[in-house]
Amino acid sequence: MKFGPKYAAMAAIAAATIALTACGGGGAAGGAAGGPATTLTIGSLADLKSFDPTDAHIGHMMPIYQTAYDTLIRRAPDGTLTPMLATKWSYNADNTVLTLDLRTDVTFSDGTKFDATVAKANLDHFKEAQGTDAYQAASMKSVAVVSPSQIAITLNAPDPAFTYYLTQAEGLVASGKEIGSAGIKTAPDGSGPYVLDTKNSVQGSQYVFTKRAGYWDPSLQKFNTITFKVLTDLTARTNALVSGQIDATLLDPKTGKQADGAGMVLNKYQTDWQGILLYDRDGKINPELANVKVRQAINYAFDRKTILAQQYLGQGTVTDQVFGPESGAYVPALDSTYNYDPAKAKELLKEAGYPNGFTMTIPTMAGFDTINAVFKQQLSDVGIKVNLETVPIANYVADMAAGKYSAATFQLYQGQPWVAINQMIATTALYNPFKSTDPELAAMIKAVQNGGANSAELAKKVNEYVTDNAWFVPMFRLNQMFYTDKKIDVVPQLQQAVPSIYNYTPAK
Amino acid sequence: MFTFILRRLAAGVVVLAAISFLTYFLLYFSSANIARNILGEYASQEQVHAKEIALGLDQPLLTRFFSWAGHAITGDFGTSWFTSQSVVSAISERLPVTLTLVVVAILCIAVVATLLGMAAAVKRGWIDKVVQTGAVIGDAIPGFVLAIVLVTIFAIQMKIFPATSNIAPDAGASAWVASLTLPVIALVINGVTSAAQQIRSAVIKQLEKDYVRTLRSRGISEREILFKHVLRSAAPAGLTVLSLQFVGMLGGVVIIEQIFALPGMGALAVLSTTQGDIPLVMGVVLYTVVIVIIVNLLVDLINGWLNPKVRVS
Repeated sequence: MKFGPKYAAMAAIAAATIALTACGGGGAAGGAAGGPATTLTIGSLADLKSFDPTDAHIGHMMPIYQTAYDTLIRRAPDGTLTPMLATKWSYNADNTVLTLDLRTDVTFSDGTKFDATVAKANLDHFKEAQGTDAYQAASMKSVAVVSPSQIAITLNAPDPAFTYYLTQAEGLVASGKEIGSAGIKTAPDGSGPYVLDTKNSVQGSQYVFTKRAGYWDPSLQKFNTITFKVLTDLTARTNALVSGQIDATLLDPKTGKQADGAGMVLNKYQTDWQGILLYDRDGKINPELANVKVRQAINYAFDRKTILAQQYLGQGTVTDQVFGPESGAYVPALDSTYNYDPAKAKELLKEAGYPNGFTMTIPTMAGFDTINAVFKQQLSDVGIKVNLETVPIANYVADMAAGKYSAATFQLYQGQPWVAINQMIATTALYNPFKSTDPELAAMIKAVQNGGANSAELAKKVNEYVTDNAWFVPMFRLNQMFYTDKKIDVVPQLQQAVPSIYNYTPAK
Repeated sequence: MFTFILRRLAAGVVVLAAISFLTYFLLYFSSANIARNILGEYASQEQVHAKEIALGLDQPLLTRFFSWAGHAITGDFGTSWFTSQSVVSAISERLPVTLTLVVVAILCIAVVATLLGMAAAVKRGWIDKVVQTGAVIGDAIPGFVLAIVLVTIFAIQMKIFPATSNIAPDAGASAWVASLTLPVIALVINGVTSAAQQIRSAVIKQLEKDYVRTLRSRGISEREILFKHVLRSAAPAGLTVLSLQFVGMLGGVVIIEQIFALPGMGALAVLSTTQGDIPLVMGVVLYTVVIVIIVNLLVDLINGWLNPKVRVS
């Protein structure tokens, strides 16, 4: 039986059809050849929960919300606060009342206008909805409408990070008509520079936005279309970038090499620190950890530089403190507090009364397995035996917060000092499950809270305290490997995992 | 025939009910942190507790199951606990992609495996050796390795196909063809060899039978013998393999969908399961079970049509 000419012809036609249609479908996205790019396609690590501003979260999702909504205050790439829906703002003498003057020329997608009543409705709803970032409204007591273009926010107590929160989830402003509605979850109703193209968008897969006509600040509209492709898989993201399907995305040190090879541009910046958090400073689970010498010994046990070189291909900076260099609470001298000295670690353990070391159990999850194996090895070299207990990813944070473990490996973003203190140092902090504190530290924290413009400087004392007392075992600040193609320029956003949407421009 | 179909559908409903309960039962034990995961790390204990009550997570297993089942029977699968999107609309957005991928792959496997299997059975010799060796290799290479190799060669280096899916609601047929070609090729390479093996063995067995000799002695052309008579008798073996592969593919396509970023059911299933989004997981499981039941029924009917000996009276 032979494959006659009929079959061969059919096969050839089929192959040709596929090739021709594929040529049309594949290839690079982007604007006209020769001119600057008019479209921007971003590969997003994470998907939105919904377009409801109360579901907004810092970090990876912020650019998507910023495309659809404006915030009360806008944060420039270097962290300074610039006017957006609020034109100016100021505190009263004791920093408990924040008054904001508002724009009067802003309209939402549904045609309604922005005014003080809408601003108040948004803030009130944000607080009562208790969404993912509800902690940002924790210090807010009430909002008063002073005039159609002015509101006054009264705080329970001074909050040095409050104006920062108004550039984040808390500051997103939706139309007064749609606040809290079911519809806003799938169709954003904001005043932002772009409008969602609902026909072309698929939840969990891609979001397409087109330029808003009549937007009040055309200088923020650098593109005609912005598309977010949700690509949670690292391989898919890398492939999409090097094949020209997306213009910008976050990779990791290993896949970064592939992007380098394809001629992509690396924008390196640091947002997170990675290390071990020694929660049990009061010794409830591991009495040994109550002794500061033991915690310091753990800090001396790690060869941070080598671990960084081997595990992360050197993409990062070794550090001994949890506060970031641009936070204002950074103390350069602190970074030489704990060098790699296993002999000293053993010495300290002996002084603390544990010449033969001790045993502790820490959780591990997919993603930290490799680094935990390294940590376990280095700790066993100084006599501390570590048992790794695998925890499902979905339970990891919850278990830590519930105080199930005396210590854990984690990666946290380095925010402003007051944000960082509330993140892991204050007694109400999520990452201080055993609520460790002492009068000296509490006084320092209080000083930061009431410090006003001096808060960051005063936070240096908190930094020195937690570093000298080895509350944590910071290892390194990791580099975010953010790649763009040659058609796009981008400026990193301080203390944010990915750049804000305003930071992208077509390359000249 | 009619009663046959009815009986199979009734059995299908029983299977559906059993699997729903089993799935719900298994999910019940992982409900511990769902409320916390929905609300985020910073929610207070009271908020988490309030959310648990709102979602019914504090109620006993049977109450929750019957409440869900009661709604499901009327077609109300509820909304996702995490994205608040209706379960039915989330699935109907994604099901066409996965189904198209799997159905096209199975059809391609059917055609290619039949041709390969028959060529190997009839010609023997070197074609036979190639098919047999290919079977081992094709089975051994994991689907995702094939996918990555295909993407690297055809999408990144040769730029013929897109590296990740271009499928969107408004995209035309060309986007679908372009986005699905590489995934289909990966699935076909993986699946064709074992199907070809089965068809090869079945055809060889048929060719040894007496009726083939009789047909030849009557002067009927070799091609007619092969395609009209032998293939019909060898079909059950092939169809069995194909239906098994179809069912396996519905689950196995998850990794392929991840690599190609296809907006299909696989990604939905993985995400909803790891998060503990119970309404969505139940919806995905139910739709999958229904598809499997329908496919099995269709395969049995096709078998019966092709081969009267297999028909149930």
